[in-house]
Amino acid sequence: MSKFQTIDFYKTPKKNYHLLPFRFSNIAGNKLILTNLVGEYFITEKKTLEDLVHHKLEQEDPNYKALRSKHFLYDDQTSVAKDLLSIKYKTKHNRLAEFTSLHMFVVSLRCEHSCPYCQVSRQSDDKLKYDMSEEVALKSLDLALRSPSPNIKIEFQGGESLLNFDLIKFIVEEAKRRETNKNLTFVIATNLAVVNRDILEYCKIHGIHISTSLDGPKELHNKNRPRPGKNSYEKTIEGINLSREILGPDMVSALMTTTEASLAYPKEIINEYIQNNFNEIFLRPLSPYGFAIKTKKFNEYNADKWFEFYKEGMEYIIDLNRNGLEFKEFYTSIILKKIFTFNDPGYVDLMSPSGIGIAAVIYNYDGEVYASDESRMLAEMGDKQFKIGDVMKNTYEEIFLSDNLLDPLEESFSYSAPMCNECAFENYCGSDPVYHHAVHGDFVGRKPESDFCKRNMSIFKYIFNRMESDSFVEQLFMSWIQ
Amino acid sequence: MKLDISFDKSVYPLDVLKKASYRYIDSFSVDFNLSDNHINCSLNFNEKFTDKQCEYYLDQFKKEVLDQDLREKIKKETEPVRNLILAQAFSKTELIKDE
Repeated sequence: MSKFQTIDFYKTPKKNYHLLPFRFSNIAGNKLILTNLVGEYFITEKKTLEDLVHHKLEQEDPNYKALRSKHFLYDDQTSVAKDLLSIKYKTKHNRLAEFTSLHMFVVSLRCEHSCPYCQVSRQSDDKLKYDMSEEVALKSLDLALRSPSPNIKIEFQGGESLLNFDLIKFIVEEAKRRETNKNLTFVIATNLAVVNRDILEYCKIHGIHISTSLDGPKELHNKNRPRPGKNSYEKTIEGINLSREILGPDMVSALMTTTEASLAYPKEIINEYIQNNFNEIFLRPLSPYGFAIKTKKFNEYNADKWFEFYKEGMEYIIDLNRNGLEFKEFYTSIILKKIFTFNDPGYVDLMSPSGIGIAAVIYNYDGEVYASDESRMLAEMGDKQFKIGDVMKNTYEEIFLSDNLLDPLEESFSYSAPMCNECAFENYCGSDPVYHHAVHGDFVGRKPESDFCKRNMSIFKYIFNRMESDSFVEQLFMSWIQ
Repeated sequence: MKLDISFDKSVYPLDVLKKASYRYIDSFSVDFNLSDNHINCSLNFNEKFTDKQCEYYLDQFKKEVLDQDLREKIKKETEPVRNLILAQAFSKTELIKDE
C-alpha cells in the first residue's frame, strides 16, 4: 500500500449537477458551439460535451464553472439559474406582445426604372390604375394606428413612391392630425430620380427619413437599375447629396441588392458606400420572388456563391476597421445583437415566430393587405398565399386573425421545425415561411435543401469562428452591437 | 449505390436514427428495416455520388447518430426544467390561462 493518498482523496467531494436545456452544433473541425435556452453560448470540444452530458465533468474543471455561470448546468450553489433563465427568456420575447410596428404603404406601383430584379413596378402613366387612393390610405392608416405597438413606423414603398408624393403628404398629415400616444416615424423608400428641393423641405419639416438604393459603382448600378437616360447612378448620388444637405446626414440610408453581376465586386461596392460617406452596408442577397424568378436572376447564384461574396466583403470591412475606418455590415450587426443582447432587434427575416404580419405588414396600392413586402411581390406573380385581407372589406380582427397569416406563423415556428429545433443557432435565426413557400412549396421546407438555412448557418459559423480566432474581430463585433 | 448499416436496438432508438437520416436528406435517403434486436438501415445514393463519397457519407451518418443520441439524452434530462422555465417566463403575461 502506498504511503500517500491518491489524487482523488484531495478532490472536492463530487456533487451532482443537473443539465439545463441546451443545443449544440459543429462550427469547425472538432469545435462545437453549445447554446442555452436564451442563446448564451459556449464553445468547446467534443470531449467536454460528452463529459458534460454524461455527468463526468469535475467541479475543478474550468469548463464546469464557465458552463455553470452561463446556465448550461446547475448544482446546489446555483439554484437561481432557472429563475434567471425565465427572466431572460421573457425579456427576449417581449417584442411579441407589442405586435406590428412596421407598416408599409405602397403608394404607387408606377416607376420610371425597369430593374430586371424588381418584382412589382409598372412603366405606366395610369395613375388611376396603379396609385393608392385617399380612401384606401385612410382605411390603411386606421389599421396601422390600431396596432398595440407604441412605436409605429410608416414606410412609403413603390414602384417609385415619390411619383405619388401628394398621397404621402396626405398620409403624414392625417397620421399626425389624429391624436394618438404613438411614437410615429416616417420613411420614404425611393430611387431619388425624381426628388427635388420642395419634396425634401417637406420631409425636413415632418422628420421623414429617406431610404434609397445604391447597388455599387456607376457601371454596376446602372447595369442593375436601367432607366431612360441610363443615369440612375448619377440621379441617386445627386439625390443622396441633396437629401443630406437639406435633411442632415443621419436621415439618409441606402440599400444594395446583390445580383450575379455584383458577386465579383464586393470591395468596389463597399468602396462606393465609403466614398458616399455611409458608415455601413447591407450585403443583401436577391430575394427569390416575382420577376427575379421570372427573369432567372435568382438562379444565377446560390447560397455558396453569395456567401463567398459576403465573406470577401466582411474580410475587407474588418481590414478597413483595423486600419482605423469605422464601417459595419448591417446584417451581421443584427445577428450580433441577437447573440449578445436579450432585446430582439425585430428584423423580420430573423424572427421566430416569423415577423410576417406581426412585426411588419404591407398595404398594397389597391387595398389588399399582405403579410410582408415579399408576400406582395409573390402576389404580383399570381400567388396570393399571403394575402391576409383587404382594407376596404375586412376588419382589423379579420385581417390579423386570418388563416393566411396564422397558418404560416404556426407551421414555420422554428422552435418546433425539423432540424431547427435541435440547431444551436435557432435563437439567432428566423423561420421565413414566405421564402420557403416560394422556393420549396411549403412554409417550412427541408432545411438540408434550404438556401435560407445554408446562408444563415454559414454566417453564424463565420461570425463565431472569426471572433474565436482574432481578438480584434471580437472587439469590433462587440462594438457593432451599440 | 446502396450501403447497409445495422444498429443495436438496445443502444439506439429508431427516432435517433430518423433524425440523423433527416440531416442528410439532400444527399441520400434511408430505408429502415426492423428485426428483433437490430435496426437495419439502407442508405440510397443517386448516381452522381462516387464510391468514395458514399463511404464518406456513411461515416458522417454514423457520427451524426452519436450526436443525435447525445441530443436525445439532453432533451430527456432537461424536459421538465425547460417546461418549468417557459411556464415561469409567461406566468404574468396572461397569455396562458388556467383551463
